[in-house]
Amino acid sequence: MRLLLSLVLTVAAPLAMGQISPEEISVETLPEPGSNWFISKTGNGAYVFDAESGEMQGLLSLSRNTPAVTPYHPRQEFYAAESYMSRGVRGERTDLVAVYDFENLSPIAEIIIPNHMARLQVRRHLGLMNDGRHLAVLNMNPGHSVSIVDVEDRVFIYEISTPGCAVIMPVATSDFLQVCGDGTLQLIQLDLSGYEENRVRSDVFFNVIDDAVFDRATPSADGWILVTHAGVIFEVSTDDDEINIEDGWRLGAEDESDWRPGGNEFITAHKDYGLLYVAMHEGEVDTHHVPGDEIWVFDMATRNRVHRLELDVPADSIMVTQEAEPKLLVSDEEGGMHVYDAISFAFERTINAPGASHFEDF
Amino acid sequence: MNIDRLVDRTYYWIDEKARNTSLALARKLSRRNFLSRLGMFIAGAASFPLLPVSRSFAQDSIQEVGDPQSCDYWRYCAMSGTLCSCCGGSYTSCPPGSQPSPITWVGTCRNPVDGRNYLMSYNDCCGKAVCSRCGCHNTEGDKPVYFNSNSNTVLWCFGTEDTSYHCTVSLVLGTDDE
Repeated sequence: MRLLLSLVLTVAAPLAMGQISPEEISVETLPEPGSNWFISKTGNGAYVFDAESGEMQGLLSLSRNTPAVTPYHPRQEFYAAESYMSRGVRGERTDLVAVYDFENLSPIAEIIIPNHMARLQVRRHLGLMNDGRHLAVLNMNPGHSVSIVDVEDRVFIYEISTPGCAVIMPVATSDFLQVCGDGTLQLIQLDLSGYEENRVRSDVFFNVIDDAVFDRATPSADGWILVTHAGVIFEVSTDDDEINIEDGWRLGAEDESDWRPGGNEFITAHKDYGLLYVAMHEGEVDTHHVPGDEIWVFDMATRNRVHRLELDVPADSIMVTQEAEPKLLVSDEEGGMHVYDAISFAFERTINAPGASHFEDF
Repeated sequence: MNIDRLVDRTYYWIDEKARNTSLALARKLSRRNFLSRLGMFIAGAASFPLLPVSRSFAQDSIQEVGDPQSCDYWRYCAMSGTLCSCCGGSYTSCPPGSQPSPITWVGTCRNPVDGRNYLMSYNDCCGKAVCSRCGCHNTEGDKPVYFNSNSNTVLWCFGTEDTSYHCTVSLVLGTDDE
């Protein structure tokens, strides 16, 4: 009997297996970016997420020293400045701008640039001009300069010396603003080829020793929003070769002067709605890197605070998406990443996105 | 003539004493011991003229207090990075095989022992992977990257063969009352 059963199983088993076709491995491609997609920039790459579902869509592998990555939808490409050592932490250094496609999140071109990149994970150390053609990369060697790359023709143009000035804030078609240590702004205007055509300096509007302007800034509808360590907001814009700096105004009431902005990328604005979000903490002078216990929300038109969002874990970096139904993304000091409705301020979800240094809208 | 004989006897007496003493020493001591004692004497004699200078240095030496492997150590008031004192170096020396950067950022820290403010130079040690021990982020007097001489955010591995960051030391450059 046992022998008969063994015989039946031996003959029948392969027949049963034969009814299941073997699975084949496949590779996804990135679908058309959806509403409220964003990039979470970390030390080893850029994670693409959907804030509405919380699902990860893919990863851009980037160098540890990449300051930021920026997408450009008309060409379906990302641009990132990267710096590599041939033997990991030693050997020949190569700085470059890498071009990645949307479909596979894979490198499709490289443009070698001078080995002078500042190599800090700061969002405004990389800026694509508004015409989508020239990319500016902040250098420090240790003097400041900017490398200009034509990302359409894939060529390095040249290195502009910008002593005492850093941060790249694109304005107009192919111009950018910088913050300078003497308390001014610098406007550099590029010509069609990407070479410097004109350079303008503003009047002094802050004192770096008394109350420095942060090197973190956020774009507004018509320019940029800057903030000082003590919490004074300056709205800046340009008109051809003129730099306009509005009078500063303080975040919060007079009796709230012990509240300060701070963290990593702690300031963000919804351009169409004119809403400004700033991570705030109570602290002394020189606590400008302390994460925020609350996020204060201001109506830029009236300069009134419209909400105080209290957080369980202090926020290090924040970003609001630019959609009609925007999300507020918050990375906390313990490595958590959370999504809020940016209008109702309701908590929506936590996403497993460890190591987020800052966010980029997609 | 008597005087000459007296001188000769005196020389003879000195020679004899010297010979006997040498023989006695030779019986008691090895040559190496003699040389070492002679060396100590010469070194000791040589150090006499330096003593006042040495005392002067001693008076100006920095009195340290606290744990150099703690972020709260007074020298680290404006330091951001990992402490070389936790990584095989000290607060003034880079760990083995790493390369000290000659270009630095600076800060001013108050020594709680003498109450004086010291100008600090924060030098990065470079050319190896990040030493992930004793990470500190103190921001006293820290300024943004556009004011880089006082910015602790910057990677200061300039002028080294390899530009990767390993850890940071903190050297005293002087006092604010000098």
